[in-house]
Amino acid sequence: MNLIVNGDAESGPGGSADPVAAVTGWEIREGGPALVAYGLGGGYPTASDPGPATRGSRFFAGGHSARTALVQAVALPATGSTGHAAVDAGGVRYTLSGWLGGYAGQEDGVRLSVEFRDAAGTPVALSVLGPVTAGERNSRTGLFERTVTATVPRGARTARVLLVFSRAGGTSNDGYADALSLTLTATPNTSRGRK
Amino acid sequence: MTALSRRDLLKAAGAAGALNLAWPLSAGLSPAQAREAAEALGADYDPAPFTLGVASGDPQSDSVLLWTRLAPDPLAAQQPLSEIVEVGWVVALDPQLRQVVARGTTTASATLGHSVHVPVSGLRPATRYWYVFTALGKQSRIGRTRTAPVGSVASVRFAAANCQAFHDGFYAAHRGIARENVDFVVHLGDYVYEHGKVGGVPADHVRDHEGSAAFTVADYRRRHALYKGDRSLRDAHAAHPWFLTWDDHEVVNDYSGTGGDAPFVRRRAAAYQAWYENMPHRDAGHAVLPDPEIHRVRRWGDLLELTVLDLRSYRSAQNLKDGSILGTAQKSWLKSTVDRAPEAWHVWANSIMLSQLRGRPGGSYMFTDQWDGFLAERKEILNHIHTSGMKDFVVITGDWHSAFVDDIRPDFDDASSPVIGTEFTAHSVTSSAYSAAWNQTNGPIMGAANPHLKYFEGNRYGYDVYEVTPTRFSTHMRVIADRRDPVSPVTTLTTFHVDRGRPGSYEDPATKNSPAQWRRD
Repeated sequence: MNLIVNGDAESGPGGSADPVAAVTGWEIREGGPALVAYGLGGGYPTASDPGPATRGSRFFAGGHSARTALVQAVALPATGSTGHAAVDAGGVRYTLSGWLGGYAGQEDGVRLSVEFRDAAGTPVALSVLGPVTAGERNSRTGLFERTVTATVPRGARTARVLLVFSRAGGTSNDGYADALSLTLTATPNTSRGRK
Repeated sequence: MTALSRRDLLKAAGAAGALNLAWPLSAGLSPAQAREAAEALGADYDPAPFTLGVASGDPQSDSVLLWTRLAPDPLAAQQPLSEIVEVGWVVALDPQLRQVVARGTTTASATLGHSVHVPVSGLRPATRYWYVFTALGKQSRIGRTRTAPVGSVASVRFAAANCQAFHDGFYAAHRGIARENVDFVVHLGDYVYEHGKVGGVPADHVRDHEGSAAFTVADYRRRHALYKGDRSLRDAHAAHPWFLTWDDHEVVNDYSGTGGDAPFVRRRAAAYQAWYENMPHRDAGHAVLPDPEIHRVRRWGDLLELTVLDLRSYRSAQNLKDGSILGTAQKSWLKSTVDRAPEAWHVWANSIMLSQLRGRPGGSYMFTDQWDGFLAERKEILNHIHTSGMKDFVVITGDWHSAFVDDIRPDFDDASSPVIGTEFTAHSVTSSAYSAAWNQTNGPIMGAANPHLKYFEGNRYGYDVYEVTPTRFSTHMRVIADRRDPVSPVTTLTTFHVDRGRPGSYEDPATKNSPAQWRRD
């Protein structure tokens, strides 16, 4: 199950390149994100540009701000095969993935990260993806998949997903993101070290 | 190993042409071999897995942050550790750890470089504590820390360090700090330098960086590990709790944190993550890694309010009409902090020079990377302090690799503008200053060009110790004799005082004849 709400930019207001005042499931920490339709045109990614196979109708973009940041707080499931007990036994892994991109040869970009915290709120794990550089995109407009997996540390209770769009120049913040996903998987406990 | 024999070894290695082959992570060396080579040439580490030592930070009246990082092979990109390692910790009232007051376990994740940050709460105010970590059947060295007092406080002593380029010298200054009787330490930035090797060892540099410039998390982790290979730095961390800010070289020279091109954004995130992993930084709660929030205000009883500034993360480009060194949110926070300021000494931990500095009379500013590149905002902030009535304002600053004492005026070009505070810019721990000839020539020129500049000394290295009472703030400039000597003795070059309720500083008569390249009085 994807723990990120509205990681596909399909919910709530949007559809144009203009920033929205609120994004379903996300807190706008900085700037103003846009939820852009793949059919908008004007140089934005289209349905035929590189991107997720199932991409829906919209993607996230950075709007007109030099820096736009979205945060989503995630409570880890209390019960089940990936619940607190399984986490505390060292038997849960997380996978963070997202399609991240930008426009042509420009170096606008977007960074996706997840931070896990213990019950006291102290960070205990961190994974960062992107931004995908123009070089990595071969200067092609589009979105490219990035993924990382690691063990959820014992004691982790919450996570925070951070999505930061950054503008290298101009007026439009052309960091693009879609199909953001955070999943937990129960695994045999093989990674726990001795005290 | 004594200082002399270490120097002899360096010279011998250089003479034999072996240094470039032996120095860490040179081509063909495994991390283990590199570490061995580094240790042979003077670097050392605590026993594994606690090679990088222990530290504490952000002391409050009931809490302090404890830090360590497991790195059995400190210069390796991958540590020979499980992905998750359980780490125990103990806090006690005595150095033998018999009177335990708190204990617990936490986890060290490979995703955070196997670092551990433990905010220990429920502690007593104004109390000294000792602490230790355990992991993998091993125990760390024992660290010492202290909580902040509450209520009436008769005195506080603290030290400030800045700019510790590894290649420019050994950390005799940190050895001195470790031995000081201080309540806490403030680091003012340039804790590591991001660039690659400088060469010239041992003729021009006592040692060198381990490899090329840092760009990735692995690069910055290795660089932090290299710097902590100087025992004196680890000793200073283990001896006192630290407050922390950063300057540019924790990421890259002269950067603006708001730069938005993707390669830089990636590099900055890597540097910030490694900084967090390697520092006793208390997470701000609402911030989200890899973008830690480091500006904060702390109290030391009723005597001192310490405001830690972040002059890198949110700054715009320099020399813009509407430029900002603080960023919108931090500026608003700082102004409200001034508005709420209690009756106390108000000390700002300020990484880069606040006071105006012209290179010659009527000439241009020497460096607009410092507050001189953000004129409107500086004037706005200083006018706000003046109109708010906040008194007893002292700024402690790093970056310049030389000591300055300045009167702070809202308008530095207007001699009638009131003095509202004092800025003490400290010597660097090791990072090279200008030459003695430059200092001799330019000290008087800077003095003539900057009527608010009271003192300049650029031929020495060291740190400052501040002694604060309800009636006086004293800055003791501690200097080392020779940064090429790891155990170089520390002396006090001079002392400046600020009297409570009376803006402006004056030099202690007992040290007023000490060497300096500019002195107004």
